[in-house]
Amino acid sequence: MRWIDDIVARSGRVWANQPLAVKGVVVVALPLTILLIALLSLYVASRAEARAEADVRAAFAIQRDIHEVHALLAEAASGVRGYLLTGQERFLAPYIKAEAEIPAAFARLDAEIRDSEVRRRFDVVTQLAARKREGLAALRNIQGAGTREALARPDVLAALVANKAVLDGLRDEIEAMQAHESDLLAARQQRADEARARNLVLTAISGAVGLLGSFAAVYLFSTGIVRRVQALEANARRLERGEPLPPLPVEADEIGRLGAKLEEASLLLRRREQALREGEERFRLVIEGVKDYGIFVLDPEGRVVSWNEGAERIKGWRAEEILGQSFATFYPDETRAIVPPRMLATALRDGRAEDEGWRLRKDGSRFWANVVVTALHDEVGRLRGYSKVTRDMTERKRAEEALSEAREAAVAANLAKSEFLSRTSHELRTPLSAILGFAQLLELDKSQMSARQTAAVEQILKAGRHLLALINEVLDISSIEAGRMEFWPETFDLRDALTEALELTSPIAEAAGVSLASELPATPIIVRADRRRVVQVALNLLSNAVKYNRVDGETRLRVVQDDGWTRVAVMDEGPGVAEAAAARLFTPFDRLGRERTAGVEGTGLGLALSKRLVEAMDGAIGFENRTLPDRGAVFWFELPTHVSPAPSLARQDI
Amino acid sequence: MTIAAAPVMQSDLNQCRILIVDDESANVLLLRSMLEREGYTDIVGLTDPNAALAAFVESEPDLVLLDLMMPGIDGYQLLEAFGRQTRPGDFRPVLVLTADTTTAARRRALSLGAKDFVGKPFDIVEVALRIANLLETRVLYRRLQTLREAR
Repeated sequence: MRWIDDIVARSGRVWANQPLAVKGVVVVALPLTILLIALLSLYVASRAEARAEADVRAAFAIQRDIHEVHALLAEAASGVRGYLLTGQERFLAPYIKAEAEIPAAFARLDAEIRDSEVRRRFDVVTQLAARKREGLAALRNIQGAGTREALARPDVLAALVANKAVLDGLRDEIEAMQAHESDLLAARQQRADEARARNLVLTAISGAVGLLGSFAAVYLFSTGIVRRVQALEANARRLERGEPLPPLPVEADEIGRLGAKLEEASLLLRRREQALREGEERFRLVIEGVKDYGIFVLDPEGRVVSWNEGAERIKGWRAEEILGQSFATFYPDETRAIVPPRMLATALRDGRAEDEGWRLRKDGSRFWANVVVTALHDEVGRLRGYSKVTRDMTERKRAEEALSEAREAAVAANLAKSEFLSRTSHELRTPLSAILGFAQLLELDKSQMSARQTAAVEQILKAGRHLLALINEVLDISSIEAGRMEFWPETFDLRDALTEALELTSPIAEAAGVSLASELPATPIIVRADRRRVVQVALNLLSNAVKYNRVDGETRLRVVQDDGWTRVAVMDEGPGVAEAAAARLFTPFDRLGRERTAGVEGTGLGLALSKRLVEAMDGAIGFENRTLPDRGAVFWFELPTHVSPAPSLARQDI
Repeated sequence: MTIAAAPVMQSDLNQCRILIVDDESANVLLLRSMLEREGYTDIVGLTDPNAALAAFVESEPDLVLLDLMMPGIDGYQLLEAFGRQTRPGDFRPVLVLTADTTTAARRRALSLGAKDFVGKPFDIVEVALRIANLLETRVLYRRLQTLREAR
């Protein structure tokens, strides 16, 4: 019977798809309608019963009236006979009464009789009754009533007999009529009884149908609303517990839509949960798989609650051995009581604490660790624990220590060298002091000496001064390298310092037959540096440019100002610097081109010292060979231009 | 014309007593030669710094030429000792002559009471001029002293 199931299913779906308002109307209206129909049928039944009873009552009334007519006529007939026998008027009373009442009785009967059979007989009875009454009227009007003669008269006799015959006929008719009426009454009474019984049954049926209607309504309410709301509630609970939802039939009403939304929400939640789980899983795999970092989690009391492969590799403990233990276990005795609580306190206060130090492995060996502890809080800000990332820095630490030792050794060696140079310089100065002093003393008295003696003294002085310059420069370089060079920075106009250097150079330039030219700007160049050292550097470059120039060549000093920098360039017209020599130009004790500049005086330390001096004053130094057709080289140094407010300049700018 | 108002002549300076302390005998000789050339006559030269304090107290020099870097007792210690042996308000100048020309040495010596400082090797003309300047002040101080005592 698949089609029945099909219909049931389809109607069920149609019912379920109706909006709740329609369902409510149906559920309320259905029993009411059924009850109304039952009441209507009850009403119809009771009407039929009433009609049947009315019929019965009418039959009774007809019978009574017929009976009364018959009785009245019978009494009237006997009265008339009495009167005929006695002639006394008082026997006529029943007759008079009958004459008065019979028309009314007939009128009533005429109104009440409906049955055709009874009507036909009633018509006969009416005629017979009229003949009887005429007969009685004729007898009453007979002259000589009460007399024998009257009684003996044939016409009277005949009238009496006729009357008797009419009365008999009437009686027969009435009896027949009564009999028929009785039949009718019986039939009607039976009909009334049947109607009553039917009414009773109908009432019972109506009650039952009403009850059924109520049940149907309750059932519909239950299937259409309550049960589905319960299913929905169950789904909501599953959603709460995060269980998957069993699919509900797709229905178009509010509950159905709510169910569908709930399902969507469930799906969405499950998808998100899935994504979250996958993300967490990935994250966990990454964390657990990291080998170079020990990554683990501590509870708020500092006990280990998670452990990764890196932590196992670095520290030697397996997860099951260390979980639940305090992280203070990793610290050596001397720091165990102090550092772990301080780390947690710092992480709690600042969110993060970092430390480097020795830690213990399971086997008791030490490693140098970099540790970062981060406080973990939940969304309401409650401390959930700490994450701890540990790196084994032992190798780096060793490398650093080795590097540091090497650096210290190098620094110590350099210091020793500088100290040696410094001491040597002092030791050299003392005898030199005597040499130069006595030579000077002799020079003061040169008028008493021969020309040869004077020349000898001059040679002593010259060599002695050269030696002194050498010693001073060695001392300067060693001081710079030992970090003991003293600088006295001041703010001054660079043009003045350069002018001073030019003036100091001019005698040797003149002596060498080299012309000296300068291009200084018209406005001050304010720099902050050790003025004496700046003059020293400029003098060095200028004297070099004179010494290594060609005869009748030119030495030119030029100043170029750039953004924040001032470059002092010194150009010569000499042979320039050989490419092979360029790299060693600023190295101490590396006097270049000795062969080509035979006879040129110089310590070979000038450029090396200048480089160190300029760099110590945040400047730079360098050189370029001049491009053809020019000859020679350009040596330059740069110093940062001082940017402090220069009122006079500022005023000029405005 | 009072004595104090009279100009200080080279002859006045040349009468002054000068104590030279330097462990290098060559330097003592150089200074002595230079001083004698300038006309000074009263010169005490010492190469043993340990004898310097006794000489300072006994000979009461008008000027001391002092080296700093010496074995045993060094120039700084002598400066302190000279300071202790000098009456408050007395002017007994010390000229420091040293191969240590660093600023630190210069500052330390001057703060310990040295009146002037010259690095070695020095220009003998310059040193002679500085000596003359210091002794000029010394002579004027001595005259002031004499005036005070006369009153």
